[in-house]
Amino acid sequence: MAKAEYTVLGTSIPRQGGVERVIGAGIYGIDLALKDELHGGILRSQYAHAKIVSIDTSEAKKVPGVHAVVTAADAPDVRYGRTYIDRYMLAKNKVRYMGDPVAAVAADSPAIVKQALKKIKVVYEPLPVVIDQEEAMKPDAPTLHEDMPLPKNLPEGVKVKNVCSYTPVHVGDPDKAMAEADVVVDEVYETKMIHPQYLEPRIAAAQVEPDGRITVWANAQAPFGVRTDVARLLGVPLNKVRVLSTELGGGFGGKASGITSGAAIEPICALLAVKAKRPVMIVLDKAEETISTTIRSGAKMYIKTGVKKDGTIVARQGKVVYDAGAYSGFGAMAGARCTNMLGGWYLMPNCHIDGYVVYTNKQVCGPVRGPGGPQAAFAVESHMDSIAAKLGMDPVEFRLKNTPKPGDKIIGVPKLRDVSLGETIKTAAEKVGWGKVKLEKNQGIGLATGSWIESAGPGGGAVVKVNEDGSVTVHIGKIDMGTAPRFGIPLIAAEELGVPVNDVTVVNVDTDASPWDAGTVGSRAIIVSGTATKLAAIDARNQIFKMAASQLEASPDDLEIKDKQIRVKGTPSKSVPLATIATNAHNIIGEVIGRGYCDNVAMMAEEKARGSSQPFTAHACIVEVDTNTGNVKILKYVAVHDIGFPIHPVAVEGQIEGATAMSIGQALCEQVVFDNNGRTMNPSFVDYLMPTINMMPRIETTLVHGYPGAGPYGAKGAGEIACVPPMAAIANAIYNATGVRITKLPLSPENVLRALKEAGKA
Amino acid sequence: MSLTINTTINGKSVSGSAEASTSLLEFLRDTLEYKGTKLCCNTGECGACTIIYNGKPINSCVTMAADANGAQITTIEGLADGDKLHPVQQAFIDTGAVQCGYCTPGYIISVKALLDRTTQPTPDDIEEAVSGNICRCTGYTKIVDAIQLAADKMAGRS
Repeated sequence: MAKAEYTVLGTSIPRQGGVERVIGAGIYGIDLALKDELHGGILRSQYAHAKIVSIDTSEAKKVPGVHAVVTAADAPDVRYGRTYIDRYMLAKNKVRYMGDPVAAVAADSPAIVKQALKKIKVVYEPLPVVIDQEEAMKPDAPTLHEDMPLPKNLPEGVKVKNVCSYTPVHVGDPDKAMAEADVVVDEVYETKMIHPQYLEPRIAAAQVEPDGRITVWANAQAPFGVRTDVARLLGVPLNKVRVLSTELGGGFGGKASGITSGAAIEPICALLAVKAKRPVMIVLDKAEETISTTIRSGAKMYIKTGVKKDGTIVARQGKVVYDAGAYSGFGAMAGARCTNMLGGWYLMPNCHIDGYVVYTNKQVCGPVRGPGGPQAAFAVESHMDSIAAKLGMDPVEFRLKNTPKPGDKIIGVPKLRDVSLGETIKTAAEKVGWGKVKLEKNQGIGLATGSWIESAGPGGGAVVKVNEDGSVTVHIGKIDMGTAPRFGIPLIAAEELGVPVNDVTVVNVDTDASPWDAGTVGSRAIIVSGTATKLAAIDARNQIFKMAASQLEASPDDLEIKDKQIRVKGTPSKSVPLATIATNAHNIIGEVIGRGYCDNVAMMAEEKARGSSQPFTAHACIVEVDTNTGNVKILKYVAVHDIGFPIHPVAVEGQIEGATAMSIGQALCEQVVFDNNGRTMNPSFVDYLMPTINMMPRIETTLVHGYPGAGPYGAKGAGEIACVPPMAAIANAIYNATGVRITKLPLSPENVLRALKEAGKA
Repeated sequence: MSLTINTTINGKSVSGSAEASTSLLEFLRDTLEYKGTKLCCNTGECGACTIIYNGKPINSCVTMAADANGAQITTIEGLADGDKLHPVQQAFIDTGAVQCGYCTPGYIISVKALLDRTTQPTPDDIEEAVSGNICRCTGYTKIVDAIQLAADKMAGRS
């Protein structure tokens, strides 16, 4: 659909909430201050794997100014988790990573909290530690979860341990096809753990109300998930817990607690507030966050592909060993996605990939921006260039040769409705100057593609209220962290209700009032809340037309709203102000309240029937490699995307640029480094390097004329897909510059220089 | 031991007490309730707490509150003129450079300090001025656009 058909959709009206952000208003979680609040802090395990012999809190309780000290003994014997219920909010019997919460304190000041935490005496019996996920699968590895069975779907005869989940991707007869291939390329790729490093620290605040209900403030991406966990872990019904979302200073999946076995700071904070009988607020220190909260896991990926001489791919075999960390967290979902994506998004008639998600003594896998996808794409798209090199074929030509057409299947998608992959590849090649640009010594050009899931996940609702002055209040269950809720969503309500965008307010989440939602996750904000808001606004409009019809002596079908006036189509003189109808509603239905929802089951059934239109992307870049230092400088970077109809183009570009930057960080410098005891060596921002403006190229974004997606007006989610191609695009450009294929991230000066030296190129 | 600190914030004389160990960021946020200056890394690496101190942008998290005594300080709260935003603030909104917005106050302060020096910054000037400000949302592309737009507006070029 074209922008011309709409009044405001497809324009980039500045985001709502911009002014309060540029003037420094105190809107974030960290800016909260509750009356009479206490400060909360958490004692974390100093062992990566140990039995807890005893915990003595008596000395800590005696410290003046301490109001509560809690351990697992103070909470119901209830565990939480997403794949498996395998985790206590405060460790009981065992700790499984350095950072596992063991006890918590509420006191008058942060200094007293620290003092009291030091006085808690925990006697540990250290156990052997396993850091590497492949080591953890071996028979002699220490067992992390004695009471967790191996996955039921593990094939007979597979001897493994510490496996949290298993994903088979088995299509066709790859053994036979591989034997008949002209060329076989067999490689191993590896990525490291990175932390999402949103800038605003995570907070939780809680107080017990006079009627006994618990109010929790959280800067979490999934407030309803927080409500579920607080209620379950404290043993109270859901209607006794109210979660209020503060504004969020970044999340990227890292703050999607509640649904993912996150850091559990909200239930811990609520427990402290109950015990202390005072409001409590916990603020995590940045270094504490790096060691304790959920992360993007490392993956080891074995990938082998058979091709014909003409470049036709005939088979792939492979294995993914994906690090879950100490608890199941989001590991099963992310690992399954990584395993599917190792099959690629090209034509792949025969495929056999086994994916193992494995427990290790490290922090827990979360749903960080495109969980599982960037890791797989680093392997798949680097591997594509390795195959092209062995065939003596141009990497762009090789990719186009294997690009699916409408009606084809790709791994994980039974049927494609539209395919923009080829178009994005050609556009990226043209924009970067593929085959045309003159490269100097040590400069190289690289391209990589990507895809992402469309229309999979929970549904969600929207409530659109038309106030008596004709202004509009929108309730959704998704929070704003710089994504669709205050960029695209207000445009949708304004478009359908014929009001100026400034007359629409999208309010923050209050679990007592907002419709349930899984949270701002999975590139789902525009798909779920956009669809729901559209239908809710149409529902409200129908109520308005019904009331206006009698007044205008016309059929509701003949009415339209423009500029807050309800008019008879073709007879603009016959009109009534929206405010008049909304005011009159007080005497009739009380208030115009539209309800809409995104029915995900119906959406997925429709997509299955008509075929899916996946979002596709191609990124390309030019780099310069300093062969003396190993430093890689990106000279040019283009990002080409099909995200369907862009409801708010600047918001879409912003998501693409930000996600690209995050993966450029993972490509060139980011990793959480561990020693053999499971201690994080680089917890602070001093040592955890992430991109500053100095290392970032200008990201030149192009939105190709997209095919309609499953979202409202043909939109597709845009929050994660740009994380998928960058690492391979850069690795391929380094290969083009130097002839050296680097298979382990990050492509840091140290690692690049080592690889160049090993190849005799430095 | 508590210290009494007399300082000037956004042109207004203020005083408050702080411990010898209190950082200027804590003093601003917790004692004086200027919450626009944001806490992030607390180690001087991310720039979220940037303020202008005697004419220069500094990280307030690694500066002592005691150093504020007698100093002239500008925080993000001091940039707008009533409801009229400073050109840098307006440019960040207009270019879509504000996503989550958490780095934004510190960023805007660093850019203001740059554009107070020159409204014709070179790309190197821009890079140097904001190299200490981490943004995790935007990938910096729209921030560079915002800086250029603000420079043009302040120089009367657009």
